[in-house]
Amino acid sequence: MTGRIAVVTGAGRGIGRAVSARLVEDGYHVLMVDRDLTVVDTAANLGKGSDTTGLVADLFTDQGRESVAEAVAHRGGEVWALVNNAGIIRDARLVKMTDQDFASVVGVNLGASYLLTRRLIPHLAPGSAVVSLSSRSYLGSFGQFNYAMSKGGLVGMTRALARELAPQVRCNAVAPGLTETAMTRSMPPEVKEMLVRSTPLQRAAQPSEIADLIAFLCSDRSSFITGQVIVIEGGRSL
Amino acid sequence: MQSYLRVAPGWPERLARAGVEAGTTAQGLVFWTDRTLGDDWEDVLAEMTEAFVLSREAARAGAPVVYVVDSADLLGRRGTGKAMVAAGLLSAARDLAQETVRAGIPANVLATDETTDPGTVAAWIARLLDRPGTTGELIRLGSTHLARALP
Repeated sequence: MTGRIAVVTGAGRGIGRAVSARLVEDGYHVLMVDRDLTVVDTAANLGKGSDTTGLVADLFTDQGRESVAEAVAHRGGEVWALVNNAGIIRDARLVKMTDQDFASVVGVNLGASYLLTRRLIPHLAPGSAVVSLSSRSYLGSFGQFNYAMSKGGLVGMTRALARELAPQVRCNAVAPGLTETAMTRSMPPEVKEMLVRSTPLQRAAQPSEIADLIAFLCSDRSSFITGQVIVIEGGRSL
Repeated sequence: MQSYLRVAPGWPERLARAGVEAGTTAQGLVFWTDRTLGDDWEDVLAEMTEAFVLSREAARAGAPVVYVVDSADLLGRRGTGKAMVAAGLLSAARDLAQETVRAGIPANVLATDETTDPGTVAAWIARLLDRPGTTGELIRLGSTHLARALP
């Protein structure tokens, strides 16, 4: 396993950072990609040596995706795990949602993931895995027409790519619910409390719990799983 | 019942026979996905954007929405572009249904395949445009979905 490359997008914080840390534990060299400049320091602190590389890139641009491909080539050219995690929200009821709200969320959450995956297909090693971060919002979430469409789109992408890239590459999606990240910590307390109350397990997930599932889907332990969406949200969809 | 129709050639006449005639999004939206869509991202985004703009018009007018997709696309069996649109619209309909349920305005998805009887499709569209009625649902007609994954 040592030295196998994993690419994680949106790796600077939250779930992306936790996934990167978990994949380092599993022996990957993790290419941590983020638009935020701090990803370079985050990667340096996480890697404790040569386990990580931080790369600043805007994945919605050709140049950004090309820089990821170049970084992969620089380290030998084979990707064993690709985790499409980068995402944004611009919530509004549909009647008030702007064209920009829609274009930016669908563009970043779905378009960038799709285009990066397409760009890296020639680099995906036989036996590798692609894991895309959907969301429980793909089941529907008030005020998130754009976000739901993007996360549902990722589910569609996962199913189609699972068929297209089989048997060489497995593709799965993970759909987390409420997770303790900077984004959820900034929620109004009453909203977060309501969400927790509606979750049978009565709490939010820790990013490390989502990371454990993603690491499993990247590993050979899930070698017969492809084209699936794993919902990880404490039972809230029941 | 009248509604905006964005449907495949030949279908306006079939739908008219079921009482669904072309009108404006203020009366209802029937959005029929482009079954010839390829995998180019710009085309996928254009399709999704058109669905968004028309759905917003319908929502502002308090009008019902039906997205008509191909069952095989929900399962990712006919290419990535079509799959992203079909699955994306299903999630969008589930969101929209939550936003409009209190006002009794339905938003649903109808999935068909090549074996589906056109008259049955037309009848279901007419039914799903009724308000108040079923909302947030995926209705799968034909046989493609049998023993397959739940989208």
